[in-house]
Formats: sequence, structure tokens, C-alpha cells
Amino acid sequence: MMECRRKKENQNPNSTFPDEVLERISGMLKSRKDKSTVSLVCKEWYNAERWSRRSVFIGNCYSVSPEILTRRFPNIRSVTLKGKPRFSDFNLVPANWGADIHSWLVVFAGKYPWLEELRLKRMTVTDESLEFLALQFPNFKALSLLSCDGFSTDGLASIATNCKNLTELDIQENGIEDKSGNWLGCFPDSFTSLEVLNFANLHNDVNFDALEKLVCRCKSLKTLKVNKSVTLEQLQRLLVHVPQLGELGTGSFSQELTAQQCSDLESAFKNCRNLHTLSGLWVATAQYLPVLYSACTNLTFLNFSYAPLDSDGLAKLLVHCPKLQRIWVVDTVEDKGLEAVGSHCPLLEELRVFPADPFDEGIVHGVTESGFIAVSQGCPRLHYVLYFCRQMTNAAVATVVQNCPDFTHFRLCIMHPGQPDYLTQESMDEAFGAVVKTCTKLQRLAVSGYLTDLTFEYIGKYAKNLETLSVAFAGSSDWGMRCVLDGCPKLRKLEVRDCPFGNGALLSGLGKYESMRSLWMSDCNLTMNGVRLLAKEMPRLNVEVIKEETYETHQAKKVYVYRSVAGPRRDAPPFVLTL
Amino acid sequence: MFDAAMAVVKPEMKSYIWLQTVDGSIQQVEEEVAMFCPMICQEVLQTGLGSSKTYAISLPQRVNPAMLGLILDYCRFHQVPGHSNKERKTFDEKFIRMDTKKLCELTSAADSLQLKPLVDLTSRALARIIEGKTPEEIRETFHLPDDLTEDLCQEEKLEPLRNITDDPRIRLLNRLYARKRKELKERKKLKDVEVEEEPKDERSVEDLLSFINGADGDIKGTRANKNKKKNRRRKDHAKDISSENTNENDKELNPLPSAYHDVNFDNALEASASKHSRTQNLPAINFSPKFEFIDGDVDDDLDPAMKEELDREVEDFARRLNSDWPERMQILSLGQDRRLVPISMNSNGSTHLYTGFDQR
Repeated sequence: MMECRRKKENQNPNSTFPDEVLERISGMLKSRKDKSTVSLVCKEWYNAERWSRRSVFIGNCYSVSPEILTRRFPNIRSVTLKGKPRFSDFNLVPANWGADIHSWLVVFAGKYPWLEELRLKRMTVTDESLEFLALQFPNFKALSLLSCDGFSTDGLASIATNCKNLTELDIQENGIEDKSGNWLGCFPDSFTSLEVLNFANLHNDVNFDALEKLVCRCKSLKTLKVNKSVTLEQLQRLLVHVPQLGELGTGSFSQELTAQQCSDLESAFKNCRNLHTLSGLWVATAQYLPVLYSACTNLTFLNFSYAPLDSDGLAKLLVHCPKLQRIWVVDTVEDKGLEAVGSHCPLLEELRVFPADPFDEGIVHGVTESGFIAVSQGCPRLHYVLYFCRQMTNAAVATVVQNCPDFTHFRLCIMHPGQPDYLTQESMDEAFGAVVKTCTKLQRLAVSGYLTDLTFEYIGKYAKNLETLSVAFAGSSDWGMRCVLDGCPKLRKLEVRDCPFGNGALLSGLGKYESMRSLWMSDCNLTMNGVRLLAKEMPRLNVEVIKEETYETHQAKKVYVYRSVAGPRRDAPPFVLTL
Repeated sequence: MFDAAMAVVKPEMKSYIWLQTVDGSIQQVEEEVAMFCPMICQEVLQTGLGSSKTYAISLPQRVNPAMLGLILDYCRFHQVPGHSNKERKTFDEKFIRMDTKKLCELTSAADSLQLKPLVDLTSRALARIIEGKTPEEIRETFHLPDDLTEDLCQEEKLEPLRNITDDPRIRLLNRLYARKRKELKERKKLKDVEVEEEPKDERSVEDLLSFINGADGDIKGTRANKNKKKNRRRKDHAKDISSENTNENDKELNPLPSAYHDVNFDNALEASASKHSRTQNLPAINFSPKFEFIDGDVDDDLDPAMKEELDREVEDFARRLNSDWPERMQILSLGQDRRLVPISMNSNGSTHLYTGFDQR
């Protein structure tokens, strides 16, 4: 428990403050950017920031080694780590690629025995690692696993059994082997500290009696997200015990209820006065939506990304949500549902529309440019959009950004690759030109549809705050990528798939990649010789090619480039070639 | 009448604590106000000091009279019960409206008095000043050095000694320091090349910073600025060294008649390759007047402070310099039948200047 304290001899008598004051000031800085800035000021401030830092974010687990991290920051309590490239979400990264957490945990056990929080995204986590985590860190409190894989409910059982101080268990969007629901019964009867419990994406039936007992004794619980197997009746029983919840994930929200049960459920929701976030409704039945209405007064975030609501159901619900700031829906709400969003959500800042069935070609539903315009007209504060749609026009996008010029995140996904403006049959260049010209605060952009190099000329010329760009099935030649690399001074992540960019484009960024976090290029026109030349010219970058049998040997079909102070990977599988 | 007035005043007198700041000034403070500071409270309870002017509590060095005044204002307000939270907050917001330098001094002073609420208040204010700034801006605001690389620190130790008395030994030391600075620079350049050639070499602090912190392009820009500044400083150093060398040359040649202070002679000193042919043209040189002066110093040692300035590498430099002495002696002694003894370092690191001049 004793913190390591620096020797008094190191104190500089001419310093502005005593060390403990400087460390306190540094500890008060909230943003990662400010902390980083402080550590670049001078030696004294570097040391103050080094010793006072309690949490660290690492955007790429191969950019730095655990040994380097623990040497630099001796007093860390919370670690956030990201692993695989984002395109692993689209199955472009093979299994067993890496990003295993275990080697980090082994070093942390020696250097950070008082670790309290671990937040992982796209990492590989085994049951053995979860057991190691549960046994080696006596103060461990918070585990968040998002888009991770490699573990099963056995690992969760280890966490439940051994983490006496756990306050947060947040399991979301993982590739998990869901063996059974009995892991909930592994929490000791004396365990009462839980504040966050999220197992919404598990599939198996849970041990409901164990869950109910757990919920009963954890008086500080403020987030509860249950999975599909929890019925409406069971949900009602839980809510009676935890009316103080701020975040609720409802489970399936489908069951035949008697009139009395329906009345009881409505009463339970009426008592939930603090709800600000609602998710779930995996199999929503319009018949029972009204029981929610009384609980919606203070909602700021509706996450219906798995709720196949129709436009009417959504519209009736939104009438009761005057404070909504974030909404995630599925395209089953159609344009009419988005019109309701525009009508009832003047405070909206973030909209995400996901495809219910991205591969269904025949059904004529989903959202279009009409819904997009309707939202932009009614929600002037909108600054984050992720919009999956089947058709779009240049004029509509121009109208949207005219209505909402403060976009920081603009991700438009026209689901048919290479689809032009469906009215004019022209490219979508002017749409994204309008985005980058109008939205000067733009940090993240995802483009789609039929695009020529003109789009990238616009991006390079106008997108001066752009940090992340995702490109798919777009562009005409190397020129497009060169424009982006030359023109976007703050670019940190570039993700390219199925584009005609070749070696010339890749090598045009030689002076750029060391200031970027990563570059991904898959199914482009790269060759092994071009990629080797990049690796030779930039020895401080890790240049990796993922080799798969189906390709010609001279082609580099999947290339991942990132800066690293840790050097080449020590755990690369045979199909990852480090050049 | 007078006694009656005194009797009336006496019952209303308060208790006071006597406090002394580092500059020696002593003042009397209401007890409840002073005791609001944990450090003062401890002193009173543990040592009994503070009860009179003679036994005033000595405050830490960081508490000067101006800072003490501010701190007591803060204590006066907050030790009074009954203020609402809103009133306290309003007072605090007005209280911390001051320039950054004063805010820093106040933070240090409050910390030394263990007055945590005030330290938290001022620390938060300073954190707000820092937010959003670049490293350059922060250095400027707080008057901080740009000292994040080790080599720079090491170079600073080799600053030339000031040669007020035109002491030849100091001239020698300065030349040795200049040589070492030059070598450090060359080593640094070599290290840079090595870093480029061997990616596994240990990275500079800045590289670690940017990678570990997930830095973006801004940090890249910052690093470029830093390099620019470092280059300027290096240039200044080079200028200083060049200037110092020139001075040294002038001083070394001072004993010579001005008629012989010409380019050929300098070239002869510097160009060992062709010195033989040039020496034939050099005239005889008379050293008598100056070296008689030097004779008087033959047994002097360096003073202790100067001895501590010397380190092993300087001794190595001196030895290397000595190895060139015979050639220089040959040049200087043309036309003379006398032998000169070179400057050497003894094992204690002191310098002795020996001469074997014979008067004719």
C-alpha cells in the first residue's frame, strides 16, 4: 500500500513548487492531452507528471511494451488498452493475430500490484488471464471488456469468485464462449460492492435466483444491463430492488404478461426516477412499450441498436424523452421514425443508425436521405453521426451539414459499395466535399459510395482537424491517398480497404507515419517490394504484412503500419511478417 | 482617571500568537486566525512558542510577509462559523484572482503551513491555467527551463571558468573544457546517427513521451520547435567556445613581441605537417621579461575550489595536451640552448608549472 516516494535529495531548491504540490496540480488535470503536455515542459514537470499519474491510455498495445510503461509511470492504478486493428470488427484480421493481455498482466503483477481498473478493447483475453487477474490484484475493482475475445463464462466465474472489491463488471460486444449462466452464483454471499453489472451480450440463460440475490444486496448498484434470457416478469422483480438505477439494459422485453403483471411492471418503472440511459429491448413488443413511458423523463441516452422498433413505436416513445442527447437505432425505424427524432429531440448530439440486416438485398426498408435531412432540421446540436443507409444524394448531405455545421464525427456508410448519387448517378464527391468544407471541427470521417480522387483532394485541402479517416471501395489512383497524407496535419489513423492505392501512395507518406498512430491497408495495390522499401526507410515503424495462402506471393494484401518504441512484436504468429 | 480607563479596556483584550517570517519581521495575529493553520497549531501545542514577541514562532522560508498577509486574510474569513457555502465559494473565487507568479508563491507558502484547503484551491487554479496550453506556453507562463535532454545538462557543467586574473592555469582549464564540450557534441551527433541506424537503441525521452502518451501531430510540432531551440543554444555555445579560443590565443601569445604575431607563426603552431620547413624562417625569440614573472608562481597550487572543478576527463585532456608539448617546445626554443619542462598534472589533480630557465 505504501507509495514509492522520491528521495528528498532530488528536490530542486529553485523550483516553483515543492514536488508534492506540483504532483497535486498535475493530478488535477483531467484530459490526457494536458497530462502529455505537462510532461513535455521540463525535467521537473516531467517527473511530477510521471509520479502523479494514476491512469494511462494506450491506443495500440504493440506501440509500447509493458516494461517501458512501468518504468515510465510507477504509480498507475488504471490501464486502458486497445489491441487489434479496428477492421477486425469486419473479419479482416485473422484469428490468433495477437493482442493477448497476459504478458501485460504478468508485468503488472510485479510492478502494479495495486492495480484497480482494466479497460480493454479488441484484446484477446483467456480464462487463464482472467483467473490470474482475479488472484494477483487484491485491490482490483473494475473490469471492462469491449469487443474482446478468447474467454468464456469460466473466466467471469474467476472474477466473481475472487475480486472482493469489484465495483464494475462490464462485458459488451465480446466474442465470448457462453458456457452457462452459473457464474453469477460465484459471487460470495458477503459481496456487496457492485455498482456496474453488464452482461447484455451473453446468450445463455442466467441463474436468475443468484442474480436477484446479488442485486438485492448490492445497494450501490447504478448500472444493470441484463441479457435476452431475462423475461419481463424477472425484470420487474429486479427493478423493485434497485429503483435508484441510472442505466438499465432491459433484456428481451418480450413476454406474455397478465394484466396484473403489466401493471406491476409499469409501477416498477414509475419508481425509476434516475434513469438516464436505457438499452436492450432485444425483442421489443410494441404492446408493452407504454410501461416505459413514465421512466423516460430524464433519459439522455437511448441505445436501441438491437431493438427492432418500427417508426410508430419509436415516435410514441420519443414524445416522453424531452432531454435526449444520444440515440442509437436500427434502420427498421425508417425515415418516419427519424422524422420523429427530428420533431421531439431538440437537444440531440449523437445519432447512430445501424442496419438490421446488412446483407438483405430484397427488402425495401431502411433509412434514406429523407430521414437524414429530417433529423438535421430538428437537431441543430448534432455533432456525431453514424448512418447506414441504402441510398444517398450529394444534395442531401450538403443540406445536412448546412443544418448542422458542428460535426466532429461524420460516418456515412452507403451499404452498396461504389453506389453513386442515386438521383443524378454522379459520384458522391461533392457530398464529402461539403462535409469537409463546412464542418471545420471534423475529427473523424468515414466515406462510402462511388468516389473519385476529387473527394480526397477536398479532404486534403479542407479537413485540417481530421484525426481518423476510414475509406472503403473508393478513389481512382494513388493521387487520392497522397492528397490525404499531404493535406491533413493532424491525421492519426488511416484505414483503407479495397481501394486502388498502390506503392506510390504508400511511400508518399514516409514523412507522415511516425506522427500517426497507425495505417491499415487491405486489398489495395501494394506489393511486397513496396512495403519492404517502406520498412527499410522507416526503421522506427513496425511494418507488418498478414500473409494468407490465397494470395500471390508478390502481393501485400493486408498491411498494418504503426509506430512503436517497443520494436518488432515478440509474439507474432507465422502469418504476420514483420519487415 | 488613567487607571480607570485601563481597567475598562483590559477585559476586552484578545489572545494573540506571535509569528516571525524569514526576513526577521515579527507580527501579532489573533489566536483563532493563526491556529487555523495546522503547522502553527502544532507549534503552539508542542513547543509552547508564540506566546510573546521574544518567543515568536519561526515560519518556514517559503512564507514571506506578503504571502503571510494573504494567508491570514484567507484564514480570517474561513475560520468564522456561519458563512454559507455560497459565500465561501464567492470569497475563494475572488481570492485567487492574482497573477500566476503570486499564485505559485501562495501555493508554496500554504503548503508549508499545511493549509490543505488553500493548497487545493490554488492548485486547482493553477491546473486551470495549464489546461489547453502547449509546453512552450507553459514554460513561458511559469518561467521554466527547457531542460528535458540529458546531454544539455551535461554540457552546462563545462561552462568556461571566468579568468579575471589572467591566470594561465585557468586558461588551460578553459581550453580543456572547450575540448570536452566539442567532443560531447561530436558524440551526440554520432549517437543520432546510431539511433537512425539501429532502431532497437534506446529512444530519447521525447520519443517515449509521444508514444506512451498517444501524442498526436501537435506533439510532433512541439518536438520540432524544441529541436529548433536546441540548435540555437548549440550555436550560442559554439560562438562562446570560438570566442574563448580567440581570447586564449591572444593571451597565450601575449609574451611575444608584437612584431612576430603574424599568420605564419600561427600556422606553424597549428599545422604540424609542414612545420619543419617553416621553422627555418622563424627568428630568435626573447622570453626573459615574462618568464621571470612566471618564475614567481612556480610552487603555487590551484585553490581548493578550482581543484574540485577538475575531473578525470579533464586530466585525460591535459595528458593528451602534454603529449604535444615537445613539438611546441621545439618551435618556441629555436635559437635557444635551454630546455623547457612541460606542464603536468600530479596524482592529486593539481597543476604545477615548472621552468628550467637559466639566466645568461
